[in-house]
Amino acid sequence: MHDVGAQADFEVGQPTRVEIEGRGFVVVNGGTQFYAARDVCAHQGARLSSGRCKGNVHAESVGGHIEYQTGGRTLLQCPWHGWIFDMSTGRALTDPDRARVRVYPVQVTDGRVLLDLG
Amino acid sequence: MAQAVLDAPAAAEAANGRTSLTVIDCDVHPYPNTIHDLTPFMSDRWVQYVKQSGFAAPPGTQYPKGYENAARRDAWPPNGLKPGADPDFVREQLLDEWDMKYGILTPLYAAGHVHNDDFSIALARAVNEWQRHVWLDSDERWRSSITVTPQIPEAAAEEIRRCGKDGRFVQVILTVRGNAPYGKRHYYPLFEAAADMDLPVGIHFGGWGNHPITATGWPSYYLEDHTGMTQAFEAQVLSLVSEGIFERLPNLRIALIEGGFSWMPPLMWRFDKNYKGLKEEVPWLRKLPSEYILEHFRMTTQPMDEPPNPQHLLQIFDMIGREDFLMFATDYPHWDFDAPDRALPSVVRGELRQKIMADNATAFYDFERA
Repeated sequence: MHDVGAQADFEVGQPTRVEIEGRGFVVVNGGTQFYAARDVCAHQGARLSSGRCKGNVHAESVGGHIEYQTGGRTLLQCPWHGWIFDMSTGRALTDPDRARVRVYPVQVTDGRVLLDLG
Repeated sequence: MAQAVLDAPAAAEAANGRTSLTVIDCDVHPYPNTIHDLTPFMSDRWVQYVKQSGFAAPPGTQYPKGYENAARRDAWPPNGLKPGADPDFVREQLLDEWDMKYGILTPLYAAGHVHNDDFSIALARAVNEWQRHVWLDSDERWRSSITVTPQIPEAAAEEIRRCGKDGRFVQVILTVRGNAPYGKRHYYPLFEAAADMDLPVGIHFGGWGNHPITATGWPSYYLEDHTGMTQAFEAQVLSLVSEGIFERLPNLRIALIEGGFSWMPPLMWRFDKNYKGLKEEVPWLRKLPSEYILEHFRMTTQPMDEPPNPQHLLQIFDMIGREDFLMFATDYPHWDFDAPDRALPSVVRGELRQKIMADNATAFYDFERA
């Protein structure tokens, strides 16, 4: 387990880069749960920590009501080409079987955020 | 338990040398932060005009982009300038990070969209002087492209001959959506000047010639605008070849920038087939259209076509038929940036990969023009 900082240092919905032994990880405080993934987009290698958390645009029908939805998920959009990843699985919403970033379990213990790199 | 470092500076994985190949970037966009970056390079008449009128910039895009300024979200400099407006930041984020040998600046400042001819010419000239003093002088790895007024070809020719004396300008830049197909004889002075100065003409994604941007009218979305840009590239290739400009200017070279490339083989097949039956319309042509294309054109790779099976890219390369036809480009600082280490899939390897990443650009552009 790697201590990457105090829980209070991670603003909800604000992706943050941390480095452990020369490798970069993006950590997101999802509000009720923390998430972590390699800070390298599966597409062309951008730092996902420079992206932003947002909802997925959903339309009921063509020309129908449009809204942002998360479906209870924490979604992170790449800062370059805009691919959106589900932080719980690391899979891209538009190509989940092929585009995937590695995710890691995160624990919060005694106010500290701990990454489990396995 | 190790204490990790929050927001540490770039570590080894983000440092130089992410690709061991030589890298030349054929498409880097510098942007004036405001008109006040350009006014130092204008005469007092135009400085006063800008001040009095409140002129901020030429008319711009027809579609909101996916991101503000169509920029990578990480391309905004910490000092608050716009993406592409800070030479120091661009050097750090692009040239240094990827250890590039050269980067070719391709300004997209739309001086040609200004209807006042004299002001249009003054703006183009100011962009070129700004490039020279702010960018080219800042790092010896930069090369640049001459901004012109294509709607006033004689003035464009004069600017090409003026700037072309500085060897750091390695091409002329146009946008693909012009007022008319570029093979039309109206444009001849522009291309003649480029050929005289032995400068390629780069035709880049974008522009707006006061026409609907597709042959069937205005689409609704930037998605259509961006994906459909190939229509305009195809129209320019057809025009330049059909009008015979390569017979008039045998040394003229054209770079198609940010148009993709996978569409070129079927265009060549269709063009050649129709030429065989319709050649009486264009009797000045002396060979198949595809032969002019393969001899006089080159294409940049970005936005990289990404077939689900990467092996299909090799088939496309084979259909093009020349290993020296494609040149790598990133399109920095835009959102559809192609990373030098990832844009080409691993199936593109060895000598071919090095050719695309740098050698083909070295053969096409003269980076050491006197």
